[in-house]
Amino acid sequence: MKKILNEPAAYVDEMLEGLCLAHPEYYKQIGPEGRVIARAAGPVQGKVAIVSGGGSGHMPVFTGYVGKGLIDACAIGDVFSSPGVNQVTEAIRAAHAGAGVLLLFGNYGGDKMNFDMAGEMAEMEDIRTASVRVADDVASAPLAERGKRRGVAGLVYAYKLAGAKADQMAPLDEVAALAQKAADACRSVGVALTSCTVPAAGRPTFEIGETEMEIGMGIHGEPGVRRGPLKPADAIAEEMLALLLADMPLKSGDRVSVLVNSLGATPPEELYIVYRYVAGKLAGMGVRIVMPLVGRYATSMEMAGMSLTFCRLDEELEALLKAPCDCPFLRI
Amino acid sequence: MTTTFTTDTLRGALGRIIRKLDASADELNLLDAQLGDGDLGVSLVRGARAVEAELPNLPDDVGMALLKCAQAFTKLSGSTYGTLLATGLMSAAKATKGRTEVAWSEVSSLVGNATQAMAQRSGGELGDKTVLDALDAARAATEGLAEPSALAAAADRAVAECLDRFRSQPARQGRARIFADKSVGKDDPGMVALKRMTEALNQDH
Repeated sequence: MKKILNEPAAYVDEMLEGLCLAHPEYYKQIGPEGRVIARAAGPVQGKVAIVSGGGSGHMPVFTGYVGKGLIDACAIGDVFSSPGVNQVTEAIRAAHAGAGVLLLFGNYGGDKMNFDMAGEMAEMEDIRTASVRVADDVASAPLAERGKRRGVAGLVYAYKLAGAKADQMAPLDEVAALAQKAADACRSVGVALTSCTVPAAGRPTFEIGETEMEIGMGIHGEPGVRRGPLKPADAIAEEMLALLLADMPLKSGDRVSVLVNSLGATPPEELYIVYRYVAGKLAGMGVRIVMPLVGRYATSMEMAGMSLTFCRLDEELEALLKAPCDCPFLRI
Repeated sequence: MTTTFTTDTLRGALGRIIRKLDASADELNLLDAQLGDGDLGVSLVRGARAVEAELPNLPDDVGMALLKCAQAFTKLSGSTYGTLLATGLMSAAKATKGRTEVAWSEVSSLVGNATQAMAQRSGGELGDKTVLDALDAARAATEGLAEPSALAAAADRAVAECLDRFRSQPARQGRARIFADKSVGKDDPGMVALKRMTEALNQDH
């Protein structure tokens, strides 16, 4: 795989430097190692702060969503590896504005351990924290073992909805409850067509044949539910739709937001081909789509493939989804 | 004889532990290489040095001092053992926050609570042949003791007996579990690391 980079060891730091140089009105890099991105304007006094983070390689997740009506700070690790406890603690301190901090992150073992530790450390410094993990990938574990599911693109909805709730100056327990409700309302499934290369590793994370696809593969190349020959867009969309609907049945009158997300290399054209099919299918079921998102929202560097996320809405979630937000990757 | 310990006491004890870990790095690396990835000694020494750098600045609040140690320790990334030890330290930090003196008689329950917090974080259980077993043995042996040299002697003896008890058993947790058969007859590296620490605390040794 060809990559545009300098030293692999400098990949993350140079990326963060560029991000902040390009958008100085949004982001600032802080912490002794520069591995924390916080809002350039500083914390909003009296607002519950939302802190997230995880490994690099998923832009705009996680750092990109630091912004108004979204999240307040991020701790960022090396490509596909969890940020350290101290970086998460640093992010918590940077974001705290007197009303406590919600830790909102994807359900991965390393992240859980480090965010939990950092939360405990912050509590020792009299910063109140709550923690919500997003576990939306239906292919990673059965519904009965939802707690084991990985967090993928559903994180974008969790950021948006919890961010809007925090913007209403709601207290920490309410923001946390809303974040949990948003996380519970999301279901995602992915399909990978090609692998991706972690710069420090120098070779593809996994092998996949030229004419193969893998349904349900995770964003770090974790095994999916089925590998087989590449099918036409409608057939891929149908298979993914079926997996989501089996997990979260939708009926006439239901409202959902739909995210058709590129894993990196797949172009918007192909995402719209998939969206066309999904929109037709949901319309046929009498399900109303609210504010669909189509584009690169949660990636695995240059992996080809896409993910499909449904976020089932009630009145409260729909209003929060439509509330204003502003970061370079999402503006409402 | 004093019945309580302070941050100063902690500073002295940590200094002895750090020197002992420094001297044991090669031994621990070697042990770990047989069952794990062979970096236990290196990562413990890295963590210990980070704690050493904090020693002069530790606050008088024993809880906050323990927090500083945990934070310094977690600077060493990539080691589950390090994160676990920091988890244990954090548990003790929470229990002693706001106090400049802590009764020696609390040590046993502080160790017990730390062991529980570590088990919860790692998903490990007693009987898995890990440092948790050795800590639990130390907790049981120190119950009811309130005198520092008796505490250290009892803990060190208990950890030694724990090593003996588990030597012939297979590991059931962590990377060593993959090599469960190979682990029979060998000491768990994490337990041995704890043994070196209790040795450092036990003056008679």
